[in-house]
Amino acid sequence: MGKPTGFKEFTRELPAKQSVEERLQHYNEFAHRYSDEKLNQQAGRCMDCGVPFCHHGCPLGNVIPEFNDAVYKQDWKEAYEILNSTNNFPEFTGRICPAPCETACVLGINQPAIAIEEIEKHIIEIAFEKGFVKPHNPNLRSGKKVAVIGSGPAGLAAAAQLNYAGHTVTVFERDDAPGGLLRYGIPDFKLEKWVIDRRIKLMEEEGIVFKCLANVGVNVSINDILREYHAIVLAGGSTVPRDLPVPGRALKGIYYAMDFLKQNNKRVARKYFLSNAAIESNILPEEIKATGKNVVVIGGGDTGSDCVGTSNRHGAASVTQFELLPKPPAERNDFMPWPSYPMLLKTTSSHEEGASRQWAVATKEFIGDENGNLKAVKTVELEWKIVDGRAAQFVEVAGSEKEIPCELALLAMGFLHPQQEGLIKNLGVSLDEKGIVKATEKDYKTNISKIFTAGDMRRGQSLVVWAISEGRECARNVDEFLTNNFSVLESRDQAVQFQVS
Amino acid sequence: MFQSKTIQCYLKADGKPGRLKKAVDQICDYAVDAVEDGFKVLILQDRAIDSNHAPIPSLLSAAAIHHHLIRKGMRGQVGIIVEAGDVYEVHHFACLIGFGATAINPYLALSSIRNMKETGKLQTELTQDELKKNYIKAVNDGLLKVFSKMGISTLQSYQGAQIFEILGLNKDVVSKYFTGATSRIEGMGLDEIATETLAKHFFAFSKKDIPADRLPVGGVYQWKRKGEFHLFNPQTIHLLQHATKMNDYETFKKYSKLVNDQGEKACTLRSLFQFRKNRGSISIDEVESAESIFKRFATGAMSFGSISWEAHTTLAIAMNRLGGKSNTGEGGEDEKRYELMETGDSMRSSIKQVASARFGVTSLYLTEADELQIKMAQGAKPGEGGQLPGHKVDDWIGRVRHATPGVGLISPPPHHDIYSIEDLAQLIYDLKNANRKARISVKLVSKAGVGTIAAGVTKAKADVVLISGHDGGTGASPVSSIKHAGLPWELGLAETQQTLVKNKLRSRVVVQADGQLKTGKDIAIATLLGAEEWGIATAALVVEGCIMMRKCHMNTCPVGVATQDPELRNRFKGDPDHVVNFFKMITEELREIMAELGFKTVNEMVGQVGNLEMRENIEHWKYKNIDLSAVLYREPESMYQTLYCSEEQDHGLNESLDWKLLEAAKPAIENKQSINASFDVKNTDRTIGTILSNEITKKYKSEGLPDNIIHFNFNGTAGQSFGAFNTKGITLELEGDANDYFGKGLSGAKLIIYPPKNATYIPEENSIIGNVAFYGATSGEAFIRGKAGERFAVRNSGANVVVESVGDHGCEYMTGGRVVILGDTGRNFAAGMSGGIAYVYDVKGKFADNCNIEMVDLDKCDDTDKQELYNLVQKHMEYTGSTVGKFIIEDLDNQLQHFVKVFPRDYKKVLLAKVK
Repeated sequence: MGKPTGFKEFTRELPAKQSVEERLQHYNEFAHRYSDEKLNQQAGRCMDCGVPFCHHGCPLGNVIPEFNDAVYKQDWKEAYEILNSTNNFPEFTGRICPAPCETACVLGINQPAIAIEEIEKHIIEIAFEKGFVKPHNPNLRSGKKVAVIGSGPAGLAAAAQLNYAGHTVTVFERDDAPGGLLRYGIPDFKLEKWVIDRRIKLMEEEGIVFKCLANVGVNVSINDILREYHAIVLAGGSTVPRDLPVPGRALKGIYYAMDFLKQNNKRVARKYFLSNAAIESNILPEEIKATGKNVVVIGGGDTGSDCVGTSNRHGAASVTQFELLPKPPAERNDFMPWPSYPMLLKTTSSHEEGASRQWAVATKEFIGDENGNLKAVKTVELEWKIVDGRAAQFVEVAGSEKEIPCELALLAMGFLHPQQEGLIKNLGVSLDEKGIVKATEKDYKTNISKIFTAGDMRRGQSLVVWAISEGRECARNVDEFLTNNFSVLESRDQAVQFQVS
Repeated sequence: MFQSKTIQCYLKADGKPGRLKKAVDQICDYAVDAVEDGFKVLILQDRAIDSNHAPIPSLLSAAAIHHHLIRKGMRGQVGIIVEAGDVYEVHHFACLIGFGATAINPYLALSSIRNMKETGKLQTELTQDELKKNYIKAVNDGLLKVFSKMGISTLQSYQGAQIFEILGLNKDVVSKYFTGATSRIEGMGLDEIATETLAKHFFAFSKKDIPADRLPVGGVYQWKRKGEFHLFNPQTIHLLQHATKMNDYETFKKYSKLVNDQGEKACTLRSLFQFRKNRGSISIDEVESAESIFKRFATGAMSFGSISWEAHTTLAIAMNRLGGKSNTGEGGEDEKRYELMETGDSMRSSIKQVASARFGVTSLYLTEADELQIKMAQGAKPGEGGQLPGHKVDDWIGRVRHATPGVGLISPPPHHDIYSIEDLAQLIYDLKNANRKARISVKLVSKAGVGTIAAGVTKAKADVVLISGHDGGTGASPVSSIKHAGLPWELGLAETQQTLVKNKLRSRVVVQADGQLKTGKDIAIATLLGAEEWGIATAALVVEGCIMMRKCHMNTCPVGVATQDPELRNRFKGDPDHVVNFFKMITEELREIMAELGFKTVNEMVGQVGNLEMRENIEHWKYKNIDLSAVLYREPESMYQTLYCSEEQDHGLNESLDWKLLEAAKPAIENKQSINASFDVKNTDRTIGTILSNEITKKYKSEGLPDNIIHFNFNGTAGQSFGAFNTKGITLELEGDANDYFGKGLSGAKLIIYPPKNATYIPEENSIIGNVAFYGATSGEAFIRGKAGERFAVRNSGANVVVESVGDHGCEYMTGGRVVILGDTGRNFAAGMSGGIAYVYDVKGKFADNCNIEMVDLDKCDDTDKQELYNLVQKHMEYTGSTVGKFIIEDLDNQLQHFVKVFPRDYKKVLLAKVK
């Protein structure tokens, strides 16, 4: 397979990106593509391992060595078919996945891992260019109707799979366009929205109906849904953000990251950002821009990073990012050995664009001016006690309080659980102690008959790739439910088992 | 002109019981009709299928009809052609032929090739016909390999020979359709076979209609998430590596739980067992100490060559720290490992393997052993020897193995000095002479009848019998041997224990088991089934970094374990401490089980099979009818024997002539004084000079003594293995004749033999020594005035020998040294010869016909050769008084033209490269 000695001859290379100056001028994606030769070399680095840990590390079970080999042989159709057999939306994961496959890559034991995510993106984009990606309509319709509530990656994956299994699927989305966080959470410079439109168009051609501005429980009747559909998949995500209840929280100028990001994505899409406020989620009452402001992003994760990139594009005077935890190491240590997913220092493209990053910092207070506008944040440094490689406990460092000038603070500290008011409460779906919908990975069933759940709504906040995986697995369980315990949909861990009665 | 009848082999695919039986009975009836109607060829076809009719597995169709026709007395009247879609791997062909098929058309495999070519999946210039031809050739070569493993030379002998053991079919199916084949553990009936058939059938005929409808990924030879279950998978590999690196017993427990609790996957026989308590549990403090248990562990026989220096020595250091044993494998051992390291550690492998190729088996190698292991076969690939591809034989490996760098080394399947149990007894005796302190171990593979073999081996005075399971060491095995070769050790071990107990031999021999032992539970089960020692290879390799790449044959191991590439070896991260941690933790698990079952010592526990029973809740349709009662049977022991080794073997060394030689050689050994002495010999004086060599080597290592310092003259007929493993400084001169294995493993000594001075016959026309002389010789010289038998100088890697004629298979697999033959040879000369040079005096011009020129050129002699010949033949004449030698020396200028230089091509290439 591939090139047996490729991993010795070539090292990992990523495609070039636009310069920081250039990319800050726009909201488009800024990564170039590999040349054919480079792509070939990068795929040729794959070692076709006897135990491909990448294939285990990927939540979708992507069959990575096989598609690397196909890319090496420039058999694009084969590569696409392999990829498509496990991943409905490689164009999303190829752009924004943190690539747990790459952290599990065997070459990563002592060398830079294979550039699997880039290869994935190239496969799907080449497949679109070459016309391999065509709508696939099932020959037989089961006559069963399924409602999928929420059109983020989990909902979309569930819808796509259930449709392939022959069921008639309607997707309900409270925003004005499908995609969930893909659409209104992730900035365009990481995922341009035509990529979602292209996929939605295909899914519509395959027979899936998308109903947008349809907030079940608000402007769509729950009872109608329960009556009309044979099964319901709840895929509304984990949307309630973690708050920071410190003095001054009520000042003007402090916003949840998601509200800020959504408004910007709408702006980039040339949509009026206050419309449909009663139906849509995460709508700010006014226009917020970072232009000329000192921005503080509280939270060191990917959402925080997206706020950094967006603020810089607005033309912020300064951007500072706080993280509660101490600065992570740059390399693996004994407590995060290969192939586990390591908590390492990550410098995103948004960080490259300029931000002051501070670790082990807590926000003590927001300080306002006489008009109730935010003018500074008061911080304190933390000293962490490290137990077994993990930051376990902290104490504030006496006398380390500081005031940092700040007119815009963005809270990006993660999400607690799904929105419970409305749909979930009204359906009577059970929640677990964390407040997420209770259902196991075994069957994705809620406590209410015919209601299933997938994605962050069930799992709590997680990755797009996990959402797709959950959507697929959930779909298989829904299919089994609808077809008397037998599903033609493949699961992540098992080939289709044909049982004889 | 033969007329053929096509029989469609299908069953009704509705899943009702009895469908397959009806279908098979029906095709048997059709077959009888067809024969009665005078057809000469039956074509068993599975093409007439549709959504409601599934194919009968072709092996079942073929074997059923084959046996049915035999019972009707009609089999000889027809040929059976199988035309089936389920035939594509070598094993499928082997089974069909082995159960009676005459010819096979694997139509689906062939059309898959066509499809792959048409759709561009095969990126090649070759035409479809060429591709098909290649496939057929590959299958043929694979079959040849299979036949050779079983010791069968022709297709006809293999056809219908049924040399298989069936695992998992019940008695009804076997007795009726696979009549006479071995099947010991029951299992599926026809309805279960039908269930499996229909699962595939429905997969193909389902209304599955989702995009990218691809075939299942399989995952038999590579771990795949949706494929076949493997015990070493991403989770278990990671947990084992992490647990041993951090010395974290809790993580180790997670690992062993994943390995032990296989649930429905049931990928080992032992997973069907659970422990049964027959007495009260005891406190773990009462169980014998871990330290006393460590000595019962060995690591596997993986050669330096197959794995890297770093990987090999890490295991050795770890085992030496523990007091366990590491194993050289068959690749010899670098002498620098015999010195202690600065850290006080030792890289010396306690177990030295003596395999068919005898790589680097010198007197020193044997002397430096605590155990000498004769590898009769390898659990993972019975019937095959080691196979080291040329790119892994670098200068270092070549030196240690006394072989040519860059040339692939394929070990011969058999030991050329073992064709019977008596031969094995002789080798055991030779090795015991070469090192009296070492235990002699014989490695056998689990197979039906291994108990009888083990009993024979015990009677042949082996100190240890190793029963090796099928699933070990697969990384470097040829693909066709990974599956379908060897058997689980559970079967072989139980049979061995029962047979040894029954024959009152058990207390004379240590029984060891290996084959993917991974956890304390595995060790406990092996102990209860009769093993008091255990070998662990793969798990130990994983601990030192192996991540089961299955690229051992490619030299591209990215973690530096199974590679000789210096860049990749640098990436090796293994540490003896981790290996030590592993054995400590696995021992702890064993001790916990011992405490639970109430055993204070391992010896008490050995063979207590009553502490095992079948697991409850075995409900899976496929294996619920497996019956392991034969494995769990306890052979009643007599009150005079133990169930573990408690006596030493009597090797009969007291009778050896060597004690006299040793006495006479004392001044030479102690003060390097020259010694001359004479002895009479008779044919019961076997293995002469070997104990003496052992004593010299102990003191002088590989250096030996100065040439000729000990010169013994013998008179009479010497027994077998005259001069075996004799070292430098010894000259043995025999006036008379000698039996087989003359100069076996010659290790620096000089051997001279000539007929009695008063003999009336012509020496060069008469045999003077037996078969298999100089097998595995590594250095030294020998001069034989007269004819030698067959298999002369096989695997010679450095000795210079002059002889006056040899039998068949001379110089086979030779890798070094010089052999001068002043007369005729038998056929198949130089087969597999990759190094050294043979000069054959071919006055009659017949030699070319007798030589196997697959790997050698037959060249003319040049001036260098002339000089070399002169030196050797001159000595031959001097020492033995050879008349042929005298004639040639006196007329060398003319006679040189009659000498053929047998020059291995690879060796020539290496020599030329060196000159440049």
